[in-house]
Amino acid sequence: MRLTASIAHFRLRAESARLPARTGVYLCAMALLGLLLVPGVALAAPGSATPPTVSSARLIETPGFWDGKDITFTGEAIGEAMIRGDIAWLHLNDDPYAYRTIPEGSDTEGYNAGLAIVVPAHLAERIGAYGSYRVRGDLVTVSGVFRAADPAHGGDMLIQADALQIVAPGKIITEKVSPRDIRLLWLSAAAALMALFAFWRSRPE
Amino acid sequence: MIVRPSLQDHRIVATYSGRIIAGFGLLMAIPILTAAVFSEWAHLVRFAIGLLVCLAVGLGLQAAGGRSGGLRKRHALIVVSVSWLLATALGAIPFWLSGHFGSFLDCIFDVMSGLTTTGLYLLQDLDHIPNSLNMWRFVLTFVGGQGIVVLALTFLFRGTSGTFHLYAGEGKEERLLPNVVNTARIIWLVSLVWLVIGTTILVACALALGQEPVRAILHGLWVFMGAFSTGGFAPQSYNTFWYHSLLFEIVCVMIFFAGSLNFALHWLIWRGDRREILRNIETRSFALTLTVLVTVASFGLARSGVYPDQISLFRKVFYQLISGHTTTGFGTVASRALVTQWGPVAMLAIIGAMIIGASSCSTAGGIKGFRMGVITKAFLLNIKGLLGPESAALTMRYHHGRDRLIDDDTARLALMVTVTFLTMHALVTFVGVLNGYPLLEAMFEGVSAASNTGLSCGVISPAMPWVMKLILTGAMWLGRFEFFAAFAFVGWIWSVIIGR
Repeated sequence: MRLTASIAHFRLRAESARLPARTGVYLCAMALLGLLLVPGVALAAPGSATPPTVSSARLIETPGFWDGKDITFTGEAIGEAMIRGDIAWLHLNDDPYAYRTIPEGSDTEGYNAGLAIVVPAHLAERIGAYGSYRVRGDLVTVSGVFRAADPAHGGDMLIQADALQIVAPGKIITEKVSPRDIRLLWLSAAAALMALFAFWRSRPE
Repeated sequence: MIVRPSLQDHRIVATYSGRIIAGFGLLMAIPILTAAVFSEWAHLVRFAIGLLVCLAVGLGLQAAGGRSGGLRKRHALIVVSVSWLLATALGAIPFWLSGHFGSFLDCIFDVMSGLTTTGLYLLQDLDHIPNSLNMWRFVLTFVGGQGIVVLALTFLFRGTSGTFHLYAGEGKEERLLPNVVNTARIIWLVSLVWLVIGTTILVACALALGQEPVRAILHGLWVFMGAFSTGGFAPQSYNTFWYHSLLFEIVCVMIFFAGSLNFALHWLIWRGDRREILRNIETRSFALTLTVLVTVASFGLARSGVYPDQISLFRKVFYQLISGHTTTGFGTVASRALVTQWGPVAMLAIIGAMIIGASSCSTAGGIKGFRMGVITKAFLLNIKGLLGPESAALTMRYHHGRDRLIDDDTARLALMVTVTFLTMHALVTFVGVLNGYPLLEAMFEGVSAASNTGLSCGVISPAMPWVMKLILTGAMWLGRFEFFAAFAFVGWIWSVIIGR
């Protein structure tokens, strides 16, 4: 979907500049090539009205390319906001578990993935739920500048966000004791009792 | 002629292994208590299952062993190996039941990683796991740092003959006191005193950084356990990058550096001999190699211009390098960023640090500073011998608790272990390359596992081929035991098959 949007965007720019059709096709081909060479390059085309939405995986794989660029990032707020003076540190995970966690019944789909975000402290107050065992955190979109190594924060890789929006509220998760585990508990208790009896019988007088 | 072990030998192994396994199982009372406090009932049941199975196996083995005879050296090494393998398999039960792992092999990988204080993990959705499951990860790594046999010696054995061999078989050879049971108790005393002090400081830091009190207490405790055991597990998937604090990083460095020191050195300092830390061959060797490797990595990163200012550069380089050198595995950069930002020079510097490792008789892994120091001095002694007059009798001293002379036996043993480690690193790297990973990345992960470090550049993941998971689990086990107990175990099985 991102690819289609990018081509459409490029065609629009070509038409507005009144370029010949062949040049437009050529530019589209170049855009596709660029997309293959540097992931996400087409989405970051200069002059975009809204900053491109980029995943943490792309940012970490090509940090030099995105460094200093305005981007939009969406993920589940995790843990807590650590408020330090005027700013707050957030962590947004954009892995599959941001939409359905393992305690909710999600399949195992790999590691957590996400990014650290620095926002003005008052923006962090909008977040109502942070992800943990019992909670799927709010799904949050932030916009701001990506820093591959921010000198103001000890060289950390982060997004310096100046806008924050709650996309979807968080959810309470409950995990019940499964009947399978109850059966296993009885079995293991029986085995432990038998072993205890055997151990007691084998001890010297 | 290879002699097949007798039934009595097997019974001795069963009795002692059973006792250690029963003791190991009782450790699950800690996550059970945690689950009860935080009302995590589903996981309380899962840990209760794990505990009961450990008791069934432990008591069953002791019953099968019956009234066995005295423990000898050949039994002790087998007891250590069998206990660790059983503890790894049984400790994986709550992990498997939790649903956070793709396979039972992944659970085995994580338990072995915890017990060997490696810190690599295949657990999925770490940021949504319950406190009890996280507690179990840190109990594994904290106990593994001291050693599950050392734990058993502390609480379950009373001066039984042959217990020194149990102690030595787990990779620690230095007696802090004449009695090995008392030595084990000293190791635990040192660790628990550090636990109280270190956790208190980290909790205060976490509160100051903006964490809620309950989370600050849990994070303080867990980060301490991960740091002092040079384990590298962290409560969140971001590792210590979560905290974004220079103060927190400094405290972590102090704790994991302390954990990487020889327990004999701790004991000497405890008794007032503070100069030992400046004179000991291990700390001197560590200081020298750390300085060289930090310089090399800084040079590499300065050339690439990743960090715009020198302070950020030094902060990042020093933290990752000392974490690698102490074989802790804490990180403040994303795993893949080591490849995409840091590049080959800095990665090679970290690989060098991980290979060397820290002190013997500590919670750390790697070849160890003692062996590096001895090999270097023996090498210099030989050079002096070549340059000096033939009739000259040359000697060279090193300080390790007391002044000692370099002798052929010590140098030969140090060299033998070093060559074995390097061979293992090469083999694990080769397996990684065979599985399609780039050479440098395969080497980084292979060395990280085999040296029990836990830093990763992104190769290790649940999607990794099962062969890699198995090989890396084995490498963690071999690295932790410095081969001897593991080789003895293989020899024992071999003698059962072909012995007469």
